[in-house]
Amino acid sequence: MRVLVVEDEKKTASFVRKALQAEGFAVDVCHNGDDALAAARATPFDGIVLDIMLPGRDGLSVLRQLREHRNATPILLLSARGEVNERVEGLNAGADDYLPKPFELAELVARVRALTRRSGDNKSTVLRLADLTLDTVTHRAQRGGADIELTAREYRLLEFLMHSPGRLCGRMMILEKVWDYDFDPGTNLVDVYIKRLREKIDANFEPKLLHTVRGAGYVLKESP
Amino acid sequence: MTVRQRLTLWYAAVLTVSLFIIGVGTYQEIDEQLRHAHRRAPEKHAISETSEMVFGVGLPAILLGLLGGWWLTRKAMAPVSQLTEAITRVHERNLREPLPRTHSGDEFDRLTEIFNAMLARLDDSFNRIREFTLHASHELKTPLTILCGEIETALRDESLTPAERDRYASQLDELRRLARIVDGLTLLAKADAGQVTLKLEPLRLDELVRDNFADTQILAEPNHIHVELAGCEEISLRGDRHRLRQLLLNLADNAVKYNQPQGRVAMKLHRVNGAAEFVIANTGPGIPPESLPRIFDRFYRGDPAHGTEVDGCGLGLSIVQWIVSAHNGTIQVESVPSQLTTVTVRLPLEYNQ
Repeated sequence: MRVLVVEDEKKTASFVRKALQAEGFAVDVCHNGDDALAAARATPFDGIVLDIMLPGRDGLSVLRQLREHRNATPILLLSARGEVNERVEGLNAGADDYLPKPFELAELVARVRALTRRSGDNKSTVLRLADLTLDTVTHRAQRGGADIELTAREYRLLEFLMHSPGRLCGRMMILEKVWDYDFDPGTNLVDVYIKRLREKIDANFEPKLLHTVRGAGYVLKESP
Repeated sequence: MTVRQRLTLWYAAVLTVSLFIIGVGTYQEIDEQLRHAHRRAPEKHAISETSEMVFGVGLPAILLGLLGGWWLTRKAMAPVSQLTEAITRVHERNLREPLPRTHSGDEFDRLTEIFNAMLARLDDSFNRIREFTLHASHELKTPLTILCGEIETALRDESLTPAERDRYASQLDELRRLARIVDGLTLLAKADAGQVTLKLEPLRLDELVRDNFADTQILAEPNHIHVELAGCEEISLRGDRHRLRQLLLNLADNAVKYNQPQGRVAMKLHRVNGAAEFVIANTGPGIPPESLPRIFDRFYRGDPAHGTEVDGCGLGLSIVQWIVSAHNGTIQVESVPSQLTTVTVRLPLEYNQ
């Protein structure tokens, strides 16, 4: 997997590159819009992390240019402007995802992962991890053959986590995908829900599946 | 006494004194003439002639003069009344709109001109403060992004001792709080500058309230706080879905945070006189009366002895207030300390720009 990071702030570009490399991505870095456009046209990337505020040609312009030339590389926009409507504007211009600054690194990595594996998604209607199964049609959850009662929200949370087993999911990403919040409400909503979910799927079973990674997020996996 | 009444009285006094002087003058003149003409004791005639003149002509003239004077002062003072009315409407947010001028070049027009110039200067400094906040929050975001990113990168190092890991994680928590404060400030600064547009769409407020109720129950569980939905009338209105959810969650979160163990939270949505009314009440220490008028102020924490253990960005209620007023609604908070704190939000069913 090869990813292009377009970010004029050198330190930010550097830790984003390191984090993505640590996850096994090959990473190219550009510091301005024109270089990014040239690089994206020359190389078929699996994904692009694109800052909106760039010297010269800005991120949105790069995005529009690429889409106009039928370049469908998945793009994650980054922005420090924090415009409420910027997300909508970006997605309308053809971006696949949007992350406001300051972001959580784990969040960014999780999103890039989600972007780059979109095409090869598992199409099965029953999600499975160890002896935990979730039927996305009947919304039935079972562990070790026993039914688990879930509220609608708990179901959505579990479904979201089970779609990316073994991958770290950040709080903001969960709030966005499970709650459809486009703001950080500053509550411990996610933590409380995770705790409840853990009681339901993990309390009476081994091995434990739902793990907290302090300062980063949550991950559903078999090994601790 | 208004300026108009004072002027009218002065005018009446001037008229009466001049009438008296004219009367005395007339009397002497008539007296002189009569002495010359008849060489008889003339006092009687002169006095009756004079008083006839004074009372027959002078008094009606005074009355007429008074009426005229009242009309005149009224006309003269009208621009002042208009100016007063116009100034009453001046508000922190409409400083850009100048007061209407007559362009007649008179004193009042000049006063309006000077007042408008003062408004423009005020607007200027308000704008500069807003811009400062906006730029400051932008400028803060880049270093914050770098700090958060670098600490997260450091946390990925497998060789960290548990103590080091704890220290980094705690720094990261504080940085994220700072990030939320900066986010909140950016939002409010933009709202102040009129740069935030609501994404209005028809929506079912009762569905948002039910959703929020479910989340509140979960939030309240760890402290064994009982949450109830006392009523939820079906209400449709035009609003910004995300902002309204933020509003509800902020209020619910406060109701849980500033509560007591085994406390209660009750919410209700119903229709009142063409408005949707959402009421949320909670038990808990409450808000002292002297703090009530200031709870919507940015970073207002109330009595420093209270509430410091509750974390948050200190902007929640300011954002709530902005969301309510952006929807043309009103918000009201009542609190009986140690008993019940009630927040009432009213949103008009018809959104008018």
